[in-house]
Amino acid sequence: MMFVWREAFAGLRRNLTMSIAMVITTAISLGLLGAGLLAVRTIDRTEDLYYSLIAVQVALDEPTSADDRDCSSPVCTGLRGELEANPLVASVEYESRDDAFARFQRIYAGQSILQLVRPQSLPATLRVTMADPLRGEEIVTQYTGRPGVRNVVDQRSTVADLFSFLGSVRNATFGLAVVQALAALLLISNTIQLSAFTRRTEVGIMRLVGASRWYTQVPFLIEAVVTGVVGAVLATGGLVLGKIFFLDRLMSGRLLANTIPPIGMSDVLGYVGPVLVVVGAVIATATGYVTLRLYVRT
Amino acid sequence: MIRLENVSKVYPTSARPALDDVSVEVERGEFAFLIGPSGSGKSTLLRLLIREDVPSSGTVWVANWNVGGLAGRRVPRLRQRMGCVFQDFRLLPNKTVAENVAFALEVIGKPRHTIRTVVPEVLDLVNLAGKADRMPSELSGGEAQRVAIARAFVNRPLVLLADEPTGNLDPETSAGIMTLLERINRTGTTVVMATHDRQIVDSMRRRVVELSAGRLARDDNRGVYGVAR
Ligand SMILES: Nc1ncnc2c1ncn2[C@@H]1O[C@H](COP(=O)(O)OP(=O)(O)O)[C@@H](O)[C@H]1O
Ligand SMILES: [Mg+2]
Repeated sequence: MMFVWREAFAGLRRNLTMSIAMVITTAISLGLLGAGLLAVRTIDRTEDLYYSLIAVQVALDEPTSADDRDCSSPVCTGLRGELEANPLVASVEYESRDDAFARFQRIYAGQSILQLVRPQSLPATLRVTMADPLRGEEIVTQYTGRPGVRNVVDQRSTVADLFSFLGSVRNATFGLAVVQALAALLLISNTIQLSAFTRRTEVGIMRLVGASRWYTQVPFLIEAVVTGVVGAVLATGGLVLGKIFFLDRLMSGRLLANTIPPIGMSDVLGYVGPVLVVVGAVIATATGYVTLRLYVRT
Repeated sequence: MIRLENVSKVYPTSARPALDDVSVEVERGEFAFLIGPSGSGKSTLLRLLIREDVPSSGTVWVANWNVGGLAGRRVPRLRQRMGCVFQDFRLLPNKTVAENVAFALEVIGKPRHTIRTVVPEVLDLVNLAGKADRMPSELSGGEAQRVAIARAFVNRPLVLLADEPTGNLDPETSAGIMTLLERINRTGTTVVMATHDRQIVDSMRRRVVELSAGRLARDDNRGVYGVAR
């Protein structure tokens, strides 16, 4: 068994530039794949987070907002009763202008936007939690323009923009990952062929002495697997650095701080890292095997 | 040990057969010369024996193997029981003398401690005990050939095939190689040696199988190279 390892590392050293190119391309491809996986995970979490909070907000007009502290006016009770009877609706909560202002102060504590907002600019709202969050639009059409209603907003459609943004980030990274993976596969295949070609005399002698095809080819396979695993480790390292120096700074900024759940170190090292190592090793092995089967006839 | 039954070999690139209906048998423990001018088919015959190629027709037997019909994955087993020596030595260039010999044992999965004791013994047998750590490029032709013989012999093959093993060597060195092959033959190993070296054949007085243009021309039990035809 020592023999095959020695041969594999000798092979990697012999074509050092090719080996480096192979590792880098593999690392980039796996890094992109990893970024895509992290994006998917973030999207899932963001959706969980938002869907539990999400509601259809029926904002009431100025007279009601100004006077009604507990939804006791006929307009408000009427709307509320009707909404509660609607099968699409799970529950309805009233938030008065004062409640709204208090919540606003909580969320934006210490931020300059607080100075700009007066209670008068916030409406009282009926927060409608949907039985099926995806059908908020139906409430929007039914209640827009009704007496006493200022406007109806489905929060989901606001958040949808964020989701579609995250979704396209994910798709773009996966797309790039696939292209890079293709380059990595070709490079691995090519390097193995080159490696086998440089060693054809040697392999021929080994076969004469009675070495099996498997015995002479395992070193090439190991070369490929080592490339895949080293690439995966580099990719994981890259993701860790990207998280520390890019994502963490971005997320700690005002804009995104409370918008997107952060990516933890455990997501990178405990989930994406192992996935990349396995994917890298499996793909490299498969490429190596197919190459040896199809192109290496010694 | 070795039996060819009406063996012919036609290479796709040439019209004339390299071997033409050859039938010959070599007994266990025999020492046989395979002679004939260049191009007469000696190497082709040896290549058929180790399944480097398959006959176009006829059957090649080595021990109990029908060599031509052997499945690809069984070929290594056949070769592990045969030793081969060539004019150009065919040593692994980036392995030392000892590693080259050890390789033949590694391939058949011999344990490390066995390899450690057997390799020096064999190197001793071929008088290369002091050069175990040399690289092939640091050896003379005669030394390289003795390493090749050590590698061919180290796992006690049934048959040792030698294709012009003295072709690149001066007469004195060749004589040393012949002494070695004789000694190996005395351990019971069947030896078949292709050569066109008249002096060697004449001095050994062993069995001589002569090929001429792919046909069996002569088979003498204690022959010399150039009998009158
Ligand atoms: N691989 C090959 N392809 C085509 N023709 C070959 C090949 N090997 C040998 N020959 C031909 O077969 C004949 C016998 O060659 P060979 O067995 O090498 O003879 P010898 O070893 O006696 O010199 C020659 O005519 C040679 O040109
Ligand atoms: Mg020849």
